Amino acid sequence: MKCYRGKVAYVDLGSGKIEAREIPEDYLLSFIGGTGLAARLVFDLVDPRADPLSPENALVFMTGALTGTMMITSARMTVAAKSPLTRGWGEAHAGGFWGVELKKAGYDGVVVVGRAEKPTYIYIHDEEIELKDASGLWGLDAYEADVELKKTLGGGVRTAVIGPAGERLVSLAGIIFDARPDGPRVAGRTGMGAVMGSKNLKAIAVKGSGRVEVADPARLREYLRRIIPSIMSFPTTQLYATYGTTAEVAPLYGYGDLPIKNFSLGVWDGVKSLEADAVAKKIVKGHRACFNCPIGCWRYVECEVDGERVVGRAVEYESLGALGSLLMISDPAKVAKLHQLCNKLGIDVISAGVTIAWLIESYERGLIGEEKLEGLRPRWGDHRVVEKLLELMAERRGIGELLAKGVREASKKVEGSEAFAMHSKGLEIPMHDPRAFKGMGLQYATSNRGACHLYGFVLRIEQGERVTDLGIHERVQRFDVEGKGRIVAIMQDWSEVVESMGICKFLQISPGHVASIYSLAVGRKFTAKSLHARGTAIFNLKRVFNLACGMSGEDDSLPDRLLKEPLSDGGAAGQVVELDRMLREYYEYRGWSEEGYPRKETLEKLGLLEILKGSRFEAYKEVLEKAA
Amino acid sequence: MSEFELFSEDELKQEIIRVSKTLYERSLITALGGNISARIPGASEFWITPSQVFKGALKPDDLVKLNLDGEIVEGLLKPSIEWPMHAAVYKVRPDVSALVHAHNPMVLGLSLAGKKLKTTITDEAVLLLRRIEEVEFKFPGTKYLAEAVAEAASKGARAIILKNHGVLGLGTNILEAEAIVELLEAIATIEFVCYTLGKEPTEIPPEEIEVAKKYWGL
Repeated sequence: MKCYRGKVAYVDLGSGKIEAREIPEDYLLSFIGGTGLAARLVFDLVDPRADPLSPENALVFMTGALTGTMMITSARMTVAAKSPLTRGWGEAHAGGFWGVELKKAGYDGVVVVGRAEKPTYIYIHDEEIELKDASGLWGLDAYEADVELKKTLGGGVRTAVIGPAGERLVSLAGIIFDARPDGPRVAGRTGMGAVMGSKNLKAIAVKGSGRVEVADPARLREYLRRIIPSIMSFPTTQLYATYGTTAEVAPLYGYGDLPIKNFSLGVWDGVKSLEADAVAKKIVKGHRACFNCPIGCWRYVECEVDGERVVGRAVEYESLGALGSLLMISDPAKVAKLHQLCNKLGIDVISAGVTIAWLIESYERGLIGEEKLEGLRPRWGDHRVVEKLLELMAERRGIGELLAKGVREASKKVEGSEAFAMHSKGLEIPMHDPRAFKGMGLQYATSNRGACHLYGFVLRIEQGERVTDLGIHERVQRFDVEGKGRIVAIMQDWSEVVESMGICKFLQISPGHVASIYSLAVGRKFTAKSLHARGTAIFNLKRVFNLACGMSGEDDSLPDRLLKEPLSDGGAAGQVVELDRMLREYYEYRGWSEEGYPRKETLEKLGLLEILKGSRFEAYKEVLEKAA
Repeated sequence: MSEFELFSEDELKQEIIRVSKTLYERSLITALGGNISARIPGASEFWITPSQVFKGALKPDDLVKLNLDGEIVEGLLKPSIEWPMHAAVYKVRPDVSALVHAHNPMVLGLSLAGKKLKTTITDEAVLLLRRIEEVEFKFPGTKYLAEAVAEAASKGARAIILKNHGVLGLGTNILEAEAIVELLEAIATIEFVCYTLGKEPTEIPPEEIEVAKKYWGL
């Protein structure tokens, strides 16, 4: 099929076996690419009962269906595996250039299984796949490793590397793409860096000179030429072009959405200096863009903090939250320094910020004794302490050992701290407080990878956006509870499609256009409706994987802070998330049982029943029994 | 095209493109605004203009064929977001085979100033417009707008003013729907001139209208 290369690079690091494996056409038609295809491959390859850090786990890198084509903002790719952080479905995404390069080299994805005996890296260049010794890279931070690889392999090579955190199997470790020269894109969430580390795999470098062909290039070009100007004129797109995601700080603070002091405050003066204009004036020196992206949301930072230079991509809405307002650090330069440190160590910014916020609060409440902290005194607004904690986390030393497992595991060891350990299914909550947008609460609780802001992004709908292509006609109020079950499910499933296509969420493109573009690219006809149905199937397949991993409806939960503790002021004052009410409606809309299992007829309708029956793994048999 | 077929789909598509271009050149729609649909009389499928594509230079391949449930039957581009409104009118009005939706500035200006459009100021208006309905603002593309417009259409309207939005011309063929939209703008302009000169537009005497109605069987 056009638009794809039709094969993955399959590498067994245990046996050293390397091959190019064809992707069956029905996989492409049903699971599209990116996250959908990754889910299908993980389903085939990974026993849900396997230890995520064992050689049995498979690490799948999968490019979006449209990645590498003339479609703008389609550079996103997915990294998926069983997650060491959630112990269920794990995935993270990154834009940039790596995925495009892989497709140019002749592959839609890379699948890594087994464990190498010694540190190794994979070098893929125009269909050649080589295993190389990475002893010299082991121990380097992500930026150094990137520079070394580019020195060794020459210009034009694109890299995916882990930092010290991934090497030491820190559950919060991410994968860092092309750290230099402009600062990286990061697949941060759910500990994919730790899975890579568990395989003794330091990096995957790719270089390609081929091209991705589409079915009807002339019409696709013409179509894009005509719709792009109007898409680009959307106000939010313009804002992202001007300020990047930092543009969100001020408006979302107004809604009471930006978390402050571990989700315990609604108002804070420090926000002023984290707003887009202030950040731009103080530290931003330019912007950069992913492959074929006219928006260019990526802020390029240059500043000096405590005598250290911060250069590259080191500021986003999420980091201004997780390493800023959440910890009450109001200086954007200091936030950027911490962000850069996370990148170098290879730690997810969101998870790190949330876990450290939990530690500070636990310490402040006297739940963690001084003896565990070796002289450290965690307190709000002190970036030096945070820096030290990040290093300890990456090295798994002292208190870092506790933090390295993420906030859920850490809070289990500290009595009385679970109510403010901000996670769902073990994944730390991103910088959108669901008390400000109730649908986000349901989205977090039901998202397959744990608290995820990207799958659904319903806060946009809750600000008044309508998606008539998907049947969302009504103007939705953010504090309403009724009707949210349906809307969250619809938007989550559409997000599966968007992430499978590799399209960036910052492009305000309606589902009908995506269907038209994909149709012209692959030469078959798809509609928003038919693609959406595939999204529903992908979502449910991940759900089934989670259930087979031992999760249940009880894991569709939020911390007590969001369910029981209203904020006393700010844009969301007095609100809590009425999760149970929304969940009931959601399960019903999805065709799931009250226990949260997809019913047999639901699985059948989605074309998943036969796939599950055909699995070689025992764990799915139990899920099927419960589905009946 | 067989010898018994009076209308061909190719001609229908060419007509849609022509009207779209004309409306754009007359400033009744903006570069991306407005939408037009047409069907073979009696058919349960219709051709509609695409979403977010420049309306001054459409090509036959750009058009999308939908059934009355909005499912794409032919075409690769995204159909206009207003398809629910078009489908809803076709459902309730078997006599209507073409719909032209434009953003007439004069008509909207008068409507927003609270001036009700008079259809009895020229003979052409009396004959062609017949019944005008007005619907309150509903968000474009939603089922709410579609429902409101279908209700107005079911009263037999040939022209519907969508408050704060635009107009909809309903025709037995595309030329008629186009004529209605243009005529609306023409009489709005005439009335605007009267108001500007500080005068109420003078209407055709009622007895003359009665004669016309009898003569034309309206």
